[in-house]
Amino acid sequence: MMTDGRTSGIIHRVTGSRLWKSVFRHGYPATDLDRMSAMFTNFFLHLLPAKVHPNSLRLTYTWALGMVTFYLMVIQFVTGFLLMFFYIPVTDLAYHNMKDLQFAVSFGLLLRNMHRWAAHGMVALVFLHMGRVFYTASYRPPREFNWTMGVLLWLVTLFLSFTGYLLPWDQLAFWAITVGTSIAGYPPWIGETIRTLMLGGHQVGQGALLRFYVLHVAILPAMLCLLVAIHFWRVRKDGGLSRPEGPSPKSTAIPVAGGRFVPGPQKTYTLMEVVRGTSPMVGAQRPEDEVPAWPHLLFRLIVLFQVVLGVVVLLAIVFDAPLEELANPTHPPNPAKAPWYFLGLQELVSYSALVGGVVIPGLLVLGLMGIPYIDRAREGEGIWFTSALGKRIAAWSFVGTIPYTMGLLFLNARFGVRRFAPEAPQGVVDLLNPATLLLAAIVAFSVIVGWRTGSRRMAAIALFSAFVSAYVLLMIIGTCFRGPNWDWALPWL
Amino acid sequence: MPKPGSSPESIDNSPDKGRISRRVLLGTGWCGFLLSIVGPALANIRFLFPNVVYEGPTLLKVGRPEDYASGTITFLDEQRLFIMRDPEGLRALSAICTHLRCTTGPFMPPTAEWKEDHSRCPCHGSIFAKDGRVLQGPAPRPLEFYRVSLAPDGRLVVDTAAVVDKGDVLKV
Repeated sequence: MMTDGRTSGIIHRVTGSRLWKSVFRHGYPATDLDRMSAMFTNFFLHLLPAKVHPNSLRLTYTWALGMVTFYLMVIQFVTGFLLMFFYIPVTDLAYHNMKDLQFAVSFGLLLRNMHRWAAHGMVALVFLHMGRVFYTASYRPPREFNWTMGVLLWLVTLFLSFTGYLLPWDQLAFWAITVGTSIAGYPPWIGETIRTLMLGGHQVGQGALLRFYVLHVAILPAMLCLLVAIHFWRVRKDGGLSRPEGPSPKSTAIPVAGGRFVPGPQKTYTLMEVVRGTSPMVGAQRPEDEVPAWPHLLFRLIVLFQVVLGVVVLLAIVFDAPLEELANPTHPPNPAKAPWYFLGLQELVSYSALVGGVVIPGLLVLGLMGIPYIDRAREGEGIWFTSALGKRIAAWSFVGTIPYTMGLLFLNARFGVRRFAPEAPQGVVDLLNPATLLLAAIVAFSVIVGWRTGSRRMAAIALFSAFVSAYVLLMIIGTCFRGPNWDWALPWL
Repeated sequence: MPKPGSSPESIDNSPDKGRISRRVLLGTGWCGFLLSIVGPALANIRFLFPNVVYEGPTLLKVGRPEDYASGTITFLDEQRLFIMRDPEGLRALSAICTHLRCTTGPFMPPTAEWKEDHSRCPCHGSIFAKDGRVLQGPAPRPLEFYRVSLAPDGRLVVDTAAVVDKGDVLKV
């Protein structure tokens, strides 16, 4: 085997060279200590802890939702950069650039499809990740601020998606800007100013396209990077992923005083294991209960990335991203529908632009950000739904919202305010419509749950579950049961 | 922690009397620094509002009065306008929905549900009557009427920047 011998000789020469060693300061790690050291000294791997708790690795606890979202973001960056080579944000060219990507650019369609499906995936997974964090009470101290960061990340993701689907300058794009910026014009006093700021003028045209492009490729991605960096850094500094407390297979000999790790007398600790402090990073967990992140976490993440990439590529091959007709400033398509994740909002806006487009989303964001500051109890971190009662409340909220919401929509269609009082002032319509009545009922329900159970956590579960349930229902209605002129329609007719 | 010079007796005798303390100096410095940021911040915000926009005109020429027969409503979809003519004269009604600025559809004859001519908005289902009234849906205000005038060349001009009362008619 002379060739093998020569090859390994060359490899040995290369990896033994001064140049190589200046870049890779460690050889391939052979022991756990080397592996931890490699995690600790590598810029990219430093993001991960040197050792992780096995409970953080349990797939059924995190479902890897945050990490998948991050990977989708990476895919978005790479495909987005590539698409920028063939896209010009000019109203006369943008649509034709899309057609070029479809027909004239090698792999152009594939990249555009990947960009679109990964964007949809991001929107869905950010929300599922939020749901996971909420239902496992992972926003408990010290992670309150990171939950807030997460809510901001959710908003930036939605804005990225909104600014992104305007760029093809097709019918959807044009009317989405028209409707979206008009909603932004609704808040009293500052609304019109915000609208002018977004459009760079008063009409939807070149100014608006350029502004949305700059937001989409520069400002929002920069914000996203900064927020993601803070989010991940806080995960590490706040003691790693939240996890259920629980007996770990190897926990026996080390003494624990007051729930806090105390070094055992018979053991030698490495630097990383004896960091002292009050942060939960060195809280109740004991080094013996943890496993080295290399390979247990790192290899899982590598496999996960391949799976995510594979799924996105497969989706991009099988399904083409939609492209409607060229933007026509005189005629909206009928019905003019937003993408699926905004259709619940569109349904709410169809009752009152002020309430559905400004008041409810505003309260929703503030409410979400406020959850960890309102629900300050410490029970149940790391446990799905906190308790059996929490599970029951979540189930009731999910199911109970459906008939109530359907009832409201039915009553509005039959006995809406304008039916009986066509001249009723808009204030009355803004006050008495399914959107406000739904909001009022959900808040009241949550207050009652909190009062009856004496637990803010249970109130939060009721509120969150009812909102999610109502929104999903509205999304389904908007997608399947609204036809031309936003009339009721059946999808199979 | 008490500092030298902080008690009333020592202030009087202090050789530093009349001098600015370090705290005041630094405080003033910080305030000045923060104030100096406000100007550029406002300038940046102002920068984002264009002084010149290259948008379509607000004065639209829509043909001659004789193009519109009495008792008709003409939908000019390019201009997003309805031109109405009745024995009293000509009126221009905006076809831009007051809810979220979609273009409403052409007027349709009365139906069992809507007892008068009505126009529907495809985006969120608002329905308007011929005089702009909201019959149904989320639109907060009636459709707007614009001023119609005759240009010297005898053509009709609609000023979409001038909203007028629905009784405002161009007699021709």
